[in-house]
Amino acid sequence: MNLDIALWLSQDAITNGAVYALLAIALILVYTVTRIIFVPQGEFISFAALSLATLQAGETPGAVYLLIAGGVLVVALDTSGEPWDLARQRLPGRLARFVAPPLAAGALARLSVARPDALWLQILATLAIVTLMGPIVYRLAFQPIADASVLILLIVAVAVHYVLTGMGLLFFGGEGLRSKPFSLLSFKLGALNVTAQSLLIVIASLALIGALWFLFERTLYGKALHATAINRVGARLMGVSPNLSGQLSFTLAAFIAAVSGVLIAPITTVYYDTGFLISLKGFVGATIGGMASYPLAAAGSLLVGFLEAGSSFWWSAFKDPIVFTLIVPVLLWRSLSAPHSEKDDAQ
Amino acid sequence: MKPRLPLLLAIAGLAAAPLLLPQYYVTLMDYVGLAGLVTLGVVLLTGVAGLTSFGQAAFVGLGAYATALVTTAFGGSPWLGLAAGLTLTAVAALFLGFITLRLSDHYLPLGTIAWGISIYFVFGNLEFLGRHTGLTGIPSLSAFDWTFDTAGRLYPVIWLVLALALLSTSNLLDSRIGRAIRALRGHTRMAAGFGVDTGRLKIVVFVYSAMLASLSGWLYAHFLRYVSPAPFGVNAGIDYLFMAVIGGSQHVWGAVVGAAVMTFLQEWLKDILPHLLGRNGNYEIIVFGLLVIMLLHRTSDGLLPFLGRMIESDKRSGRPASARLLPQRPKLTPGEPLLSIDNVTKRFGALVAVNNLSFDVRAGEIVALIGPNGAGKSTLFDLTTGMLSASAGKIRFRGANIERATAHGIAKLGIGRTFQHPNLISEMSALENAAVGAYLRGKCGWIAAGLRLDRAEEAGLLDEAAARLKRVGLGAHLHDAAGSLPLGSQRILEIARALCADPLLLLLDEPAAGLRHLEKLALAELLRDLRDEGVSILLVEHDMKFLMDLADRVVVMEFGRRIAEGAPCEIQSNPAVLDAYLGGVE
Amino acid sequence: MRSRLTTVLGLATLLWGGGAAASEIKIGVTMGATGPGASLGVNYKNAFQLMPTTIAGIPVKYIILEDGSDPTAAAKNVRQLVTEDHVDALMGAVSVPSTTQMALIADETRTPAIALAPVALPPDKLGWVFVVPQPVPLMMGAVVDDMKKKSVKTIGYIGFSDSWGDLVLQATKKNADPAGIKIIDEERYARADTAVTGQIVKILVANPDAVVVGGSGAGAALPQIALREKGYNGPIYHNHGTVNREFIKVGGPAAEGAIAPTGPLMVAEELPDSNPIKKVAVDFDRRYEAMFGAGSRNAFAGYSYDGFLLLEAAIPKALQKAAPGTPEFRQALRDALESGQSVVGVHGVYTQTKTDHFGLDGRAVVLVSVDHGAWRLLK
Repeated sequence: MNLDIALWLSQDAITNGAVYALLAIALILVYTVTRIIFVPQGEFISFAALSLATLQAGETPGAVYLLIAGGVLVVALDTSGEPWDLARQRLPGRLARFVAPPLAAGALARLSVARPDALWLQILATLAIVTLMGPIVYRLAFQPIADASVLILLIVAVAVHYVLTGMGLLFFGGEGLRSKPFSLLSFKLGALNVTAQSLLIVIASLALIGALWFLFERTLYGKALHATAINRVGARLMGVSPNLSGQLSFTLAAFIAAVSGVLIAPITTVYYDTGFLISLKGFVGATIGGMASYPLAAAGSLLVGFLEAGSSFWWSAFKDPIVFTLIVPVLLWRSLSAPHSEKDDAQ
Repeated sequence: MKPRLPLLLAIAGLAAAPLLLPQYYVTLMDYVGLAGLVTLGVVLLTGVAGLTSFGQAAFVGLGAYATALVTTAFGGSPWLGLAAGLTLTAVAALFLGFITLRLSDHYLPLGTIAWGISIYFVFGNLEFLGRHTGLTGIPSLSAFDWTFDTAGRLYPVIWLVLALALLSTSNLLDSRIGRAIRALRGHTRMAAGFGVDTGRLKIVVFVYSAMLASLSGWLYAHFLRYVSPAPFGVNAGIDYLFMAVIGGSQHVWGAVVGAAVMTFLQEWLKDILPHLLGRNGNYEIIVFGLLVIMLLHRTSDGLLPFLGRMIESDKRSGRPASARLLPQRPKLTPGEPLLSIDNVTKRFGALVAVNNLSFDVRAGEIVALIGPNGAGKSTLFDLTTGMLSASAGKIRFRGANIERATAHGIAKLGIGRTFQHPNLISEMSALENAAVGAYLRGKCGWIAAGLRLDRAEEAGLLDEAAARLKRVGLGAHLHDAAGSLPLGSQRILEIARALCADPLLLLLDEPAAGLRHLEKLALAELLRDLRDEGVSILLVEHDMKFLMDLADRVVVMEFGRRIAEGAPCEIQSNPAVLDAYLGGVE
Repeated sequence: MRSRLTTVLGLATLLWGGGAAASEIKIGVTMGATGPGASLGVNYKNAFQLMPTTIAGIPVKYIILEDGSDPTAAAKNVRQLVTEDHVDALMGAVSVPSTTQMALIADETRTPAIALAPVALPPDKLGWVFVVPQPVPLMMGAVVDDMKKKSVKTIGYIGFSDSWGDLVLQATKKNADPAGIKIIDEERYARADTAVTGQIVKILVANPDAVVVGGSGAGAALPQIALREKGYNGPIYHNHGTVNREFIKVGGPAAEGAIAPTGPLMVAEELPDSNPIKKVAVDFDRRYEAMFGAGSRNAFAGYSYDGFLLLEAAIPKALQKAAPGTPEFRQALRDALESGQSVVGVHGVYTQTKTDHFGLDGRAVVLVSVDHGAWRLLK
């Protein structure tokens, strides 16, 4: 092993680590606000990557129809059970919030199909489709049971993962897709051939982590969001709507996923079921961060990236077990340093 | 005995199934049985104990691969394969449990997902396990002159194993240990306070459920006679969890219902979905996912309640009379030093909840602890019962230092407590809740409970619980669900539960809150009687009138410090106390 | 009991009404059009739309069940097909474990079975199983022959971490060892991996004369692209699992020059007229592409079709001895399948006998390479 190899592996590790870091921070974001361990975050990434590739192939991704149907269902659910007058009064607002944006995303998708050269339009359409899925998924799957235990929320999250994976197969088929690179630019850095694409991933990842850190640590709204996680009733008394903050956190998470999906689509082949494995690696990163700390999670994700690059070099057959075994020492350390569970059982 | 009838019918139906059903459905029933065995473990783990594992399929794989390897590579008998599989599984589950179960709830699912994925690749990359292609040539099971080589012949074996597992698990849940397991879901502090080593119990429950999965894997390997890594991945682990949720994770029968519903629904969907969607694919997962989401939106009981109450009531039917009274601790001589709080400090970060506090409780005394909200009274209870560790200072109980002892260890020494917010298992009866308090007074373990060899002891524990409930005035509510009682009664039930532990020192956290006047009088009388019988009492209370004729001594706390101590009448006129309570007279 | 809806291909069944079982031949298929083998499974399944609905004047019913490439599901399917539908013959599956599971049950229940993917069983366990795909060693043999021509001395291997990756590696070793070619590096990757940089760098360090990729379909494009991106200039060999258009679509310019063995159908038009396979293969390709689009031809659909051709040749003989739906018919069908009759398929000429349930020869292999965005005969 010489310096060139180390550089090559590091570049790969950093690129992948950045993707995992985006995942890990989205997972922590959702967990700290809603207590949901959001397994389907990976599906959002696959949806974004596959939607982009589908748009580039000149077709409207089926995910658009899912999105619109979801929006209509949300309005129907919100409206049902209300007296007619009230429902009629609220209907325009609801349509504007849950149905109009998906329709707009659909229109955007159609538009970008008509203009196959406009990459920015395809990206915009993809970001719109996936980001809008966030609040709808929260409203349909999680909002009705927002007070349930972490365990129940986790099981529902896994069920949502199943549903979205099945839908992904239905919309995008079983074959993998890859989208066109944004830019073929690359430059030499010593022996290293740095592509603009991988640089973009790292920059986007850093920017998003920075923005989130700022939101949660430096703004009042971020602190309010965080407060919902700790005490839902208290937050409501303080004027923070838990439903709104749940939807908001899902919107942010879906946006992060959409960005990651768009970024990785040109550098790898994405299948309808790719997301799960990526999201689990993000989990390893988030676990290292104790499901709480953004910088630790980002560092943990980077560690996952390096471990993955290293093990794919030295012992590729056992790459995934090695990466997932990483959480054993982390858990062991936490387990031994944590107070005994009898003393640490929140009521 | 009426509810037993549908159960018997169900059993008869299952027994007759291979004679009545077409062969293919017998095969499917074999799969239901295999899945049911794994799901039973999930029910115990997730539904009852409140722990979640996505790695059960990996344990199935361990069981299957172990016997496959033993019987093909070494030509050993399937029984040796079973032993190997169970041993291997137990070791793996112990290790996993050790590193994840001491942490908060979400680490077990995360840890088991990682474990499920890793084991899949380990199976798939080891040369001696046939890599991804797997191992073939596994023999059928045989015993005496019987060979269980077809689906029909294996059916009785699978279902007999499942029936035994159901029976023993159901017996287990209806026992001393079963009550402790049920307390694990959200009540670990309480369970620890009555002597349950909750950390250890969680691990044992996890190992037990892993062994059930491994047993299923053993049957699977000899049924299909071929193993490869594909059926043991994380997705299969998720399927087992879904089966438990769909069937009803609170009850052992939910495992069978869930396994049956998912297996048959899958077959049915496989036929119908391609027609609806116009193409093939495993789109069943969409339907299962939606089903789970919709079920959990409504209830966490799964489909079982919809199938009627066939199994609701098999408990408390014909309980044998107790053979003997439970032995009690020798009583202490009044005045003997019992509890000594010696310069104890507890800090939470910058907040000092208990500040250099000292006082004593002697045998045969009722000591009251009063003070404004946030004075550190409940924190002191937690320190005394081992639910928190003191930052500094010594706590002695009958001369032994207990400030570093575990909660369950302290319970053994004879301290019983109640909680400020009633900590009851609301769906369990008052009787069973009280019996949780008697945990340490029984000795029968898992095996005895599973085989129902614990009946005499169990009757003794329940009699004790019933006697204590009658004594505190809840004799009319023995079989009511604890959650259905009024708040005042729940506090009294907490006292009965603490009494079941036969404590030398009783810590009562605001026992009179929510009681009406006459009830308060009765409570005061009860506490005095207990003192006369030799039980010392330390209680937190706000109602000075209630304490006036009751307490021998009163300790007043403010901001974690002791500001006064003395007889109730002295305290009433103590200027420092008045100042603390009335905010000072300017 | 039979509320099941079965996939019925062919109006003949309807025309004949619900006649006695004997008037219809049932072929049960377990298929993985989803799951890890999805990209191949879809093609396998498409071919069934081209298959005639009668053989020797008797209607044929194909019952296709999905197994998601999970061997447990495949076992369930096969048991259902055998005990519930009483099929006369089995066909399947996509993955090696699923196919192996089918073969085990076929043997146990004495039902003739056509394996559409390799089977992980020793030949003596294949009593009722007839294998369509070229044995992997036969395919990799052609690859190694080409290596010898190019005087390759060392190979780096990178394959899926699944049973297919195992098989290709074993077959490569089996052929390379006698030829004095050394495998100097073995790497694995998962189909769903997002990068193979580590593995590729390791191969570059080992610097072999050629690389063999043990992937399939679009999944094989990942190492192909990474190798070319990182500047590897030696020949890159694939296997017959890779020869489809998705590989080219995903691989783009980097796919150019990739070499792979496959059956003659992929380049049927380029075969000499003297080759008996040409006529059958050209006909199949034309019909398949008419239905699924130009360039959609692929080896997997060809396996399904050859499986059908084997049955079509054997069924008339079996019909002379017994009626469909009976154990006697299944026995007769097996005897007919291993009677040593030569059947010309789209992948080769099958001559299956009691001792050889593969029955293919060198005519079943051609080497192709990606040339201007299409698979063409390697010149």
